[in-house]
Amino acid sequence: MTNAITLLRMQKITKRFGASVLANDKIDFDLHAGEVVALLGENGAGKSTLMNILYGLYEPTEGKIEFSGVQTSFRDPAQAIEHGIGMIHQEFMLVEPFTVAENLLMGTTTLPAGAENLNTARQLIREISTEYGLQVDPDARIEDLSVGQRQRVEILKLLFRHAKLLILDEPTAVLTPQETDALFEVLNRLRSNGHAIVIVTHKMHEVMAISDRVAVMRAGQMVATVNTSESTEAELVRLMVGRDLDLSVDRTEPKGRKRALELVQLQVEARVGAKATPPVALVLRHGEVLGIAGVDGNGQTELIETIFGLKEAQSGSITLEGREITNLTTVERRAAGIGYVPPDRRGVGALVTLSIEDNVILGASKEFTQFGLLNRSLARIAADNVIDRFGVKTPDAEFISGNLSGGNLQKLVLGREVSRDPKVLLIEQPTRGLDVGAIELVWGEIIEQRNQGAAVLLASTELEEILALSDRIAVMFEGEIMGIVPRDKATTPILGAMMAGRQLDEVAV
Amino acid sequence: MRFSLEKRDTPLVSGWSIVAMSVLAVLIGMALGGILFLPFEASPWEGYQSLIGNAFFSKRGFGYTLVTATPLMMVGFGTIVAWRCGFIFLGFEGCLLIGAMGGTMVGLGALEGGILSSTAPALVIAIALAWGATLGALWAGLVGELKIRFGGNEVLIALMMNFLAIYLVQYLVAGPWRVVGDMPQTERLPKDLWLPYIVSGTRLHAGFLVAIASGVVIWVVMAKSRAGFEMIASGLNPRSARYGGIQVAIRQRQAALIAGGLAGLAGAITIYGVHHRLLDGLSDGTGFVGIVTALLGRMSIPGTAIASVLYGGLSVGGDAMQRQTGLPSSIVLIVQASIVLLLLATEVLRTHRIVFSRKKKI
Repeated sequence: MTNAITLLRMQKITKRFGASVLANDKIDFDLHAGEVVALLGENGAGKSTLMNILYGLYEPTEGKIEFSGVQTSFRDPAQAIEHGIGMIHQEFMLVEPFTVAENLLMGTTTLPAGAENLNTARQLIREISTEYGLQVDPDARIEDLSVGQRQRVEILKLLFRHAKLLILDEPTAVLTPQETDALFEVLNRLRSNGHAIVIVTHKMHEVMAISDRVAVMRAGQMVATVNTSESTEAELVRLMVGRDLDLSVDRTEPKGRKRALELVQLQVEARVGAKATPPVALVLRHGEVLGIAGVDGNGQTELIETIFGLKEAQSGSITLEGREITNLTTVERRAAGIGYVPPDRRGVGALVTLSIEDNVILGASKEFTQFGLLNRSLARIAADNVIDRFGVKTPDAEFISGNLSGGNLQKLVLGREVSRDPKVLLIEQPTRGLDVGAIELVWGEIIEQRNQGAAVLLASTELEEILALSDRIAVMFEGEIMGIVPRDKATTPILGAMMAGRQLDEVAV
Repeated sequence: MRFSLEKRDTPLVSGWSIVAMSVLAVLIGMALGGILFLPFEASPWEGYQSLIGNAFFSKRGFGYTLVTATPLMMVGFGTIVAWRCGFIFLGFEGCLLIGAMGGTMVGLGALEGGILSSTAPALVIAIALAWGATLGALWAGLVGELKIRFGGNEVLIALMMNFLAIYLVQYLVAGPWRVVGDMPQTERLPKDLWLPYIVSGTRLHAGFLVAIASGVVIWVVMAKSRAGFEMIASGLNPRSARYGGIQVAIRQRQAALIAGGLAGLAGAITIYGVHHRLLDGLSDGTGFVGIVTALLGRMSIPGTAIASVLYGGLSVGGDAMQRQTGLPSSIVLIVQASIVLLLLATEVLRTHRIVFSRKKKI
């Protein structure tokens, strides 16, 4: 690989935001034709900044970029694309009612060679699609395609415009394990055809599976570039975090095992436009973590919001420790002992323009009220407790919660819910977007709650997380629970097949 | 020389910087308006001297300023409650008129032969103010209900209901309630039903104290109470609020009632403190200017009170200037509007600074 032609050479790239933020500090980054490089680092390490500089979204403060041997600096992404650099973001940029071919032709001022009109373009799309095993029909409408297929359309879009260098930002976040395998298959073909690929990620097993080299960033600096085959996951984590991590989970055998939450024939309100799903039956016991695996958007949020009272149950019942709570309001369910850590901590879990103290009041404002007025000294004590116990890094409780980092904000939300000693804790995507250090802490707290006897319902799209924390694992697909597997029987292939829509009895041997 | 805007590292929040920028905005607005004086060969200096002198430095004039500021303040406080709760209400004009109508209704009932004719005057005034506030609250509450229950467009409904209120008052003073005479207006209320003047030699009436008291109450509600916290949370992010167990719809209904009640009370106070009768053209935009004072006051109670007094002073001083210099009132209105726009523009300077760069000379 080392003697391949150098396609990209970024030298001493420095990027400052304002006077105080040094996002990239003299970064050197090379890329050769025909290789896959994983760009690894925690949030805020500077990965996105570096890629955005390459893609023309930011201008570097210092440093130079050579692409195909010519010194360049792109004013905007359009120029980068013209020169053969393409980027696929986590959110896809596709027009849903349009067909694949229409999406590909859209926005191209100069049509790629061989695509003089829609018909020849369709032909070209078929050719590229076959060559790389993308299996994309040029006449399919985007809205009819699965997430994995849409991602392949994005890849096709870049190839259609003759991209030589492809940047993929967290490409597997929305994919099932099977779809991930298919993506890696495509990437392999691209590699052997001489394309250069950068994968921005923090998932270790993917790094090991697909990349030739790993570039590890930490705190704005490039700490190491290693050949994947000569490294180990543990070493990469150490490079990325700067210390050894303990993600092992220490579970005690639960006592009691009484039923905490019981869902009987619970009919969840279907999303607008979606078809009705079969009713859900589920039993959650004290002292266990029941994981809900599934690709994002398969009804996990709807189910949990129904349990929490944010959505009305169409029929069926929800019982908390033998008491029916189906018709209680959210605040009554909270008072009855249900806590919820929502997936969108900035948009739902916290009032980001208010202080930490105000956010500790949220959800229990009644308890901090005397004669109609808020007792601020009580609230301050509660806020300081959450800050101390969960190590929220902040100057004080007056600090505006939205200015906390993602990890610290999640500690605040989780800490607030946990500090009310919930009987049932509903948690969704607890570590989405968090760095490894914060994940360690959040996982530890979830298990701590379980060990103390709380019943935890954990929905996550990260199989690793589900497998690490759960005692039992349910898989949801299109609003339906495909089956529940005990942890020791759960394997990635079984869960993956269920996530793709197969029933447990079809996949279990 | 070129200039550009550069983002500040930390936004300016200190009271002094806000005062300084506001003064700057007023001065620039007056300077711009001064140009309009020139075709009349009038001196802007003298014009403004008479404006400020009359509005703020004569006892009688300052009294008028505070009288004008009274309903502006109350509408401004109502705006704070409604808007911070996420209910973008523009129907204060209607609420104010309906409140004035309700207040008058009670007063007319206290005239000879009316059902309240034997009631003590103080009690009649109290009933009148309460009834005005109630009707104002219901008027706004109806808009809130239509929005919350049926997803109606609050802006459109409120604006249309403003017209309804305006023409309802017109109808009453031209028809059923009209007193014999040339003007479309009701009978004048007897003096013992007027709100007392609180400073001799001025027209400042007790309604001003009601406005100040309402400001204190609203401040306590919004800044200190659970209801206020939940209203603010509902306005900031309804999804977070619902997640936190707050019943957003109920809080918004309450906010609509409080906001409309304040405007209705302001309307009744205007009847009992200023006009002493219901007449056409009674409000003339107070319900909208009050919203502007809340915006100028950056949605804070003291800020809104100060902005209301300044705006009241501009109106009173402008009228005086027109009388003394004979300049058309449109100039004064242009100066007023420019000052408001410039004050709103200073918001940018809190987060950005102006950088002047001179071309380098070699």
